[in-house]
Amino acid sequence: MEGLFSQVAALGSSGVLLCGLILLWRRGVGAYITAFTWQSAVLAALTAAVGYFGADRQLYVVAVLLFLIKAVAIPRLLRRVAQRFTAGREPAAYVNTGTSLVVSGLLVLLAYAAARPLEAISDMPTRAGMPLAMGLLFVSLFVIISRRMAITQVIGFLMLENAIALLAVLATYGVPLIVEVGVFLDVLMGFLVMQIFLYDIHDTFSTTDVDVLKRLKH
Amino acid sequence: MFDMAGIVVEVAQALLALALAPALVGFIRWMKARLQNRRGAPIWQPYAELRKLFRKDMVVSRHASWIFRVAPYVILGSTIVVSLLVPVLVTPLPFNAVADLFAVVYLLLLGTVFLALAGLDPGSAFGGMGSSREMTVAAISEPAIALAILSLALAAGSTNLGEIAARTIARPSSALSPGHILAFVALFIVMLAETGRLPVDNPATHLELTMIHEAMILEYSGPYLAMVEWASWLKLFVFLTLAGNLFVPWGLATSLTPAALAIAFAATVAKLVVLAAAVAVLETRVAKLRLFRVPELLAVSFVLGLLAVASSFSLR
Repeated sequence: MEGLFSQVAALGSSGVLLCGLILLWRRGVGAYITAFTWQSAVLAALTAAVGYFGADRQLYVVAVLLFLIKAVAIPRLLRRVAQRFTAGREPAAYVNTGTSLVVSGLLVLLAYAAARPLEAISDMPTRAGMPLAMGLLFVSLFVIISRRMAITQVIGFLMLENAIALLAVLATYGVPLIVEVGVFLDVLMGFLVMQIFLYDIHDTFSTTDVDVLKRLKH
Repeated sequence: MFDMAGIVVEVAQALLALALAPALVGFIRWMKARLQNRRGAPIWQPYAELRKLFRKDMVVSRHASWIFRVAPYVILGSTIVVSLLVPVLVTPLPFNAVADLFAVVYLLLLGTVFLALAGLDPGSAFGGMGSSREMTVAAISEPAIALAILSLALAAGSTNLGEIAARTIARPSSALSPGHILAFVALFIVMLAETGRLPVDNPATHLELTMIHEAMILEYSGPYLAMVEWASWLKLFVFLTLAGNLFVPWGLATSLTPAALAIAFAATVAKLVVLAAAVAVLETRVAKLRLFRVPELLAVSFVLGLLAVASSFSLR
């Protein structure tokens, strides 16, 4: 049982990380949103699995909320934003695809090194997934700094949030429900604020390419 | 273990691979045709192609040197040797001592190198282009395969293919570990590149400017062409068997009893059918990548392999 639990945890976390890596390889905001949706769905499933194996009922509620907010609501909003002002393809990132893949590989290795002490002190069956969650954290930060479109950066931010949620679930079987609900609300509000910003940026500069935002208009 | 029966089974299994490879390709083509709403050629069509080619005369360019004549034998020979080393039906085999991960990877590379040389040899511009592309792809895909299998080797504590399969049978839970899954995805991507399947190369046509495999073998005809084609089919068979029997080794016979062998045969065929169907579905779904994006796809595979190794290493 213990063995199966740790396998499922490791498997789920690698699924979540894989969805994050798709972002670096695919092009086009639509594909990014799909990747994010899948990532959130896998994360929700993993949360439910941790709830089952860890015998924690609250995690089921968290999983359902997570699915509804991150795999249904936010992707829908994102698609609406994307439809409104992306002419299909994203301009090339600051770092080309091959390099960014290798960089993200190195970042995950770094995460393995960084998570070593964390793994050493933990005796939870889920500890094998922790480096992967940390790797996703680094990779999403890398996505945020290396992409040029504001909307992609927003998706990177959402993935960062997923990574933190994943780490919380793996390291502590989830924080108390009330905190979790607060976090969801924060994410949703944060996203809505960013959406308003995106609209504003687009209205002022008629693009969301952050390269153009170097000088002030008005 | 080095008894007669083992060697007989060993050779029989290589012959089986050689015999089944055209059927595998035929199956993929048929499945693709069905998915695209065509009736499709029967599964045994590749056998008919081979028979036709072996009966035909050969035309060899006046400028071709001995390399052009030797290459088909080296390509087919090296692939047959690989099929002797890969666990198709039985896992501890007489040749297991040399069935090393690195031996398999570099024997496959030997065939690739000779194919590229043969493409260059007659001095046709098209063949040369194919060779240069093939080398570009091979240079990145070879380390990716090695990494993918290395992560399995790390988990099993041995680079021996038979040993890896045996360890996974002994510890079923390890087949779900992140290292295994990432390595499987990595190997699958490399397999598509190495065997000239769709996102990298189009196996269905001779007429695309960006083709790789077909460009190299453009100068071949008759029996030589048959040998080169057969070798490339066998390579696909070997890769799918590797993917099936290293990652999901259940059903492999661990003894030489007829019942175990029959089960192993059925299991291997079932795995091959599933994987071939996956290839056919994928080939129907995706379009060919631009050549410049191929290294990026292989970089994905390389990074996945790297992550697989990292996670196998940390979980050890």
